[in-house]
Amino acid sequence: MDSKSNREKIISEANRLRWELGENLYDTLMETIYNNASEIANKAVTYSDKKSPFSFDRTLDKILTSKYFGIPIMLMMLAFVFWLTIVGANYPSSILASFLIDFLHPELKNIFLSFNIPNWLVGLLIDGGYLSCAWVVSVMLPPMAIFFPLFTLLEDFGYLPRVAFNLDAIYKKAGAHGKQALTMAMGFGCNAAGIISTRIIDSPRERLIAIITNNFSLCNGRWPTQILIATVFIGSLVPAYLAGFISALAVIFIAVLGIIMSFIVSWALTKTLLKGEISAFSLELPPYRPPRILQTLYTSLIDRTIFVLWRAIVFSFPAGLVIWLISNITIDGISLANHFINFFNPVALIFGLNGVIFLAYIIAIPANELVLPTILMLTVSHLGLNDFGAGSGVLFELESIEDTAKIFQAGGWTLLTGINLMLFSLLHNPCSTTIFTIYKETKSWKWTLVSTFLPIILGLLVTFIVTKIYYLVH
Amino acid sequence: MSLFIYLVLIFIASILFLKRKQIVFLFKKIKNEDDKILQEDILKNIYQLQKQNTICKTETISTRLNEDKVKVQNSINKLQKLNFVNTVDEEIHLTESGKTYALKIIRFHRLYEKFLADKTNLNEKTWHKVADEIEHKLNQEDAEKIAAQIGNPVYDPHGDPIPSSSGELPEKIGISLSEMKHNEISVVLHIEDEPHNIYENIVNKGIYKGIQIRFLGIFNNEVSFYANEKLCSLSLDEANNIQVGIPKLEKIHLGEFKKLSSLSVGEKGKIIGIAKSLRGQQRRRIMDLGIVPGTIIEAELESISGDPVAYRVRGTTIALRKNQAEKIYIEKI
Amino acid sequence: MSFQEQKLSNNIQPDCANCPIHNIGNLKKLGINMDDFDFVVALAGNPNTGKSTVFNYLTGLRQHTGNWPGKTVTRAEGGFEYHNKKFKIVDLPGTYSLLSTSVDEEVARDFILFGQPDVTVIVADATRLERNLNLTLQILEITDRVILCLNLIDEAQRNGITINERILAKELGIPVIPTVARSGRGIDDLLKMIYDIAIGNFKTKPIKLKSNSEELNKAIDEIVGLISVEFPNLPNKRWVALRLLEGDQSIINSILNGELGNIKI
Ligand SMILES: Nc1nc2c(ncn2[C@@H]2O[C@H](COP(=O)(O)OP(=O)(O)O)[C@@H](O)[C@H]2O)c(=O)[nH]1
Ligand SMILES: [Mg+2]
Repeated sequence: MDSKSNREKIISEANRLRWELGENLYDTLMETIYNNASEIANKAVTYSDKKSPFSFDRTLDKILTSKYFGIPIMLMMLAFVFWLTIVGANYPSSILASFLIDFLHPELKNIFLSFNIPNWLVGLLIDGGYLSCAWVVSVMLPPMAIFFPLFTLLEDFGYLPRVAFNLDAIYKKAGAHGKQALTMAMGFGCNAAGIISTRIIDSPRERLIAIITNNFSLCNGRWPTQILIATVFIGSLVPAYLAGFISALAVIFIAVLGIIMSFIVSWALTKTLLKGEISAFSLELPPYRPPRILQTLYTSLIDRTIFVLWRAIVFSFPAGLVIWLISNITIDGISLANHFINFFNPVALIFGLNGVIFLAYIIAIPANELVLPTILMLTVSHLGLNDFGAGSGVLFELESIEDTAKIFQAGGWTLLTGINLMLFSLLHNPCSTTIFTIYKETKSWKWTLVSTFLPIILGLLVTFIVTKIYYLVH
Repeated sequence: MSLFIYLVLIFIASILFLKRKQIVFLFKKIKNEDDKILQEDILKNIYQLQKQNTICKTETISTRLNEDKVKVQNSINKLQKLNFVNTVDEEIHLTESGKTYALKIIRFHRLYEKFLADKTNLNEKTWHKVADEIEHKLNQEDAEKIAAQIGNPVYDPHGDPIPSSSGELPEKIGISLSEMKHNEISVVLHIEDEPHNIYENIVNKGIYKGIQIRFLGIFNNEVSFYANEKLCSLSLDEANNIQVGIPKLEKIHLGEFKKLSSLSVGEKGKIIGIAKSLRGQQRRRIMDLGIVPGTIIEAELESISGDPVAYRVRGTTIALRKNQAEKIYIEKI
Repeated sequence: MSFQEQKLSNNIQPDCANCPIHNIGNLKKLGINMDDFDFVVALAGNPNTGKSTVFNYLTGLRQHTGNWPGKTVTRAEGGFEYHNKKFKIVDLPGTYSLLSTSVDEEVARDFILFGQPDVTVIVADATRLERNLNLTLQILEITDRVILCLNLIDEAQRNGITINERILAKELGIPVIPTVARSGRGIDDLLKMIYDIAIGNFKTKPIKLKSNSEELNKAIDEIVGLISVEFPNLPNKRWVALRLLEGDQSIINSILNGELGNIKI
């Protein structure tokens, strides 16, 4: 009893003293601590008088943040990283694909069938689940295994904070933090990884902005869709010798559009939803440190490999099951998939898309990599084209661009469908891993929902407008 | 497939349902809260009037609150039944429990203002208005949570002391700005936030709590002084709404107040203070990084557009945006 | 063993750059297997000073490291065995200070105060000692059982910065171990010191902050007086008083419910 009043007295006495001392306590305390700290440091530290410390860093900083070289150097580094990722990933990707899909897939099927497992179950597990996992792994793993270690090397060296420093002025205009440049760059590899990397932003508002807009970085899983569609629809508009260049330009345009969108959305968010959120800025420029190349390669390779494999199994396996099921379960002799496609075709036309695309995007929520093969497979089975593909509900990719173009033609695709698919591929909901990551990082349903639905709404809006304009012109 | 659609539908339905429920809920609340808000406002006003030793009648309150007299009388009757006030010869007095209640509302108000100042980006001119609404909606538990979250503050952002949760409240300190003497140096302790237009004028002149004042005098009803060594003048009304004094842990700086943002690359300065308008996490982080009074600081690197600028502080390189560097005062060395 | 003797035996000679580093005889990395442990070690420090590198070295785990302030955000735990004693080691989020209301700092602060680790290792960046001492001095107010791991010595040497760790140790009153966590240099000395402090072979005498603000000292003394009546055995009364003046809710609660009385030296 007595003890209780004693304790309360401590608290109320402290309160009284706080009123008396006023509000400079923290300032006084920090001043005290730093006074002590510099006193001690002065006694213990000596500087060599031959050279001033960090003169190398200062020189390097002067170059990397200079008015003339800063931005070009940054762009060159970025271009190099992307070039290496795209070019370097081709070869391992095709090896993985030919092993996992061309070789292992029929083998597995045979093994299962030889055990007298019913046909439909083998179809479901192998043609459905396994194949979609194999897809995700062979499309996604190689570029990630190149992109992330490169990025980590730059990070280890200490270059990334300088990029944030250089670009902060632009981001500040949009109400964001310069470090968002890096989380977005990370998002080009994988949005989920990009969202985790927003932890480096220590101001709550700017961090939320970075999380919500990360999806506007065209992730690795979406590049294949962009490249193929651009080649088929945009490249074919110009003479053959220009086709490659123009379609590449179209893809870059979409990526840049994503960056522009992220600025617009960031800016709009600070003016609306995030109006009252607190913002703070601090950016330390750490000293440059020579990176440990081998260890970095090893760590980020292993880290990402496990991440991707896990994701492939947890998320794309069920998607594969669903694809197989809806193409093989029939009502009134028509598969579920076709029911859906027929039903949604009229709605989709308003947005210059079609029912197949809608369905593919719903099925491919777990992984963007699945969009393209799902679209091809659904188109083929919807039209009942028998000389393509490998049976209903089985994912495939065609060997040649001409074959692909033929399928699209048969499916009634036009230039508008192609353009709008590219736009919609940029502006749609994040994949389920990313949504899950957003929830984990924000611990808020509200922000998870906003990040999920905002891009869809934007996507539908943009495709709607493009459709209107297209019909005006044609 | 159908599973997906099904889930999506359920999801949409649940959103709609939740919204609907909330709307119904709000309606009910507002209906019976109307009176609650008035009652609480009345208690608060009686408390303030009593503090000023003003006699408090129904009319006084109804004019202060700009409310219908009958309505006010009604609410006062209710308060009387609850034993929060008693009336003697039309004069209304707070009972002990009425005073506790009034202090509680004042605590909520000031706490919330502090919360808005520290944890949100809202403009300082809107704090008072927002807090005026929230004070009626908070319950004890939420209020204490907010208090804990912002480090149990004892002053609100205008310099008013916040009553403790047990209802203690110290006397205000300091004198009015217009009572200062020629060349006297003091610090702004409190800026009255009502009436709002006067408060806005003061804020617009760049006066904030914690700014250092060197008084010049009163000429033609204009109060002239230096605020952080920048010449400034206010009307008498405005100056009367500002209280000044020297807090115990304050350090007075004599001499020029240069802004950190005025350093060009290669120049050095010594920090003499950080404006109190740099608040909350922002302020603390900057100090944690070693930017405290007495520190030598050197502008080291300009970014491509000239904002932010990186500064060398205690062996580290820290980039600050211009709007931050403008709130850090230095003297050149 | 006296403080000075201990220091001398731990001194890294400059030529030790070449001495074998991977034969830390008695270290057994336990990864995340640390069901029963004898001692708890906390790793604190500014962001980007090599905490995760030290942590990984000791546990054999692969916490993400990077030259980027603010990389480790969540708390990581792991274990190692040294001289047949099992240690649980906790990699706290990197913070510049322990006085703010940010989540990271609360995690670190509450762990050091209420988690009562047997040893707290502060990993400091030798190239920016002054800034790192801010956190160090704050931690010394909370707990006595502290080691300063002066990391990135190679970087310091490269930049012509020399730190006399004997003077530093004497000034701070705690052992100072220079290390290069990347290559493992000095980690064996660190381990030995962790062990010695954990089993009580070595007593530290940390300095306490001196403020030249009379008003502040008076206020602190007054509260310390009141605390002494109620919690006479509390080792860090001054820190508690300071936290009360800062309105720290977790301290207020632990006073009201008496939990503070459980904190022992
Ligand atoms: N040169 C050098 N680099 C180091 C040393 N210790 C850590 N590093 C590097 O410093 C960076 C930050 O290390 P990290 O362990 O992530 O620091 P944390 O933020 O404190 O956990 C990484 O790039 C490490 O490789 C060291 O002793 N010498
Ligand atoms: Mg770390």
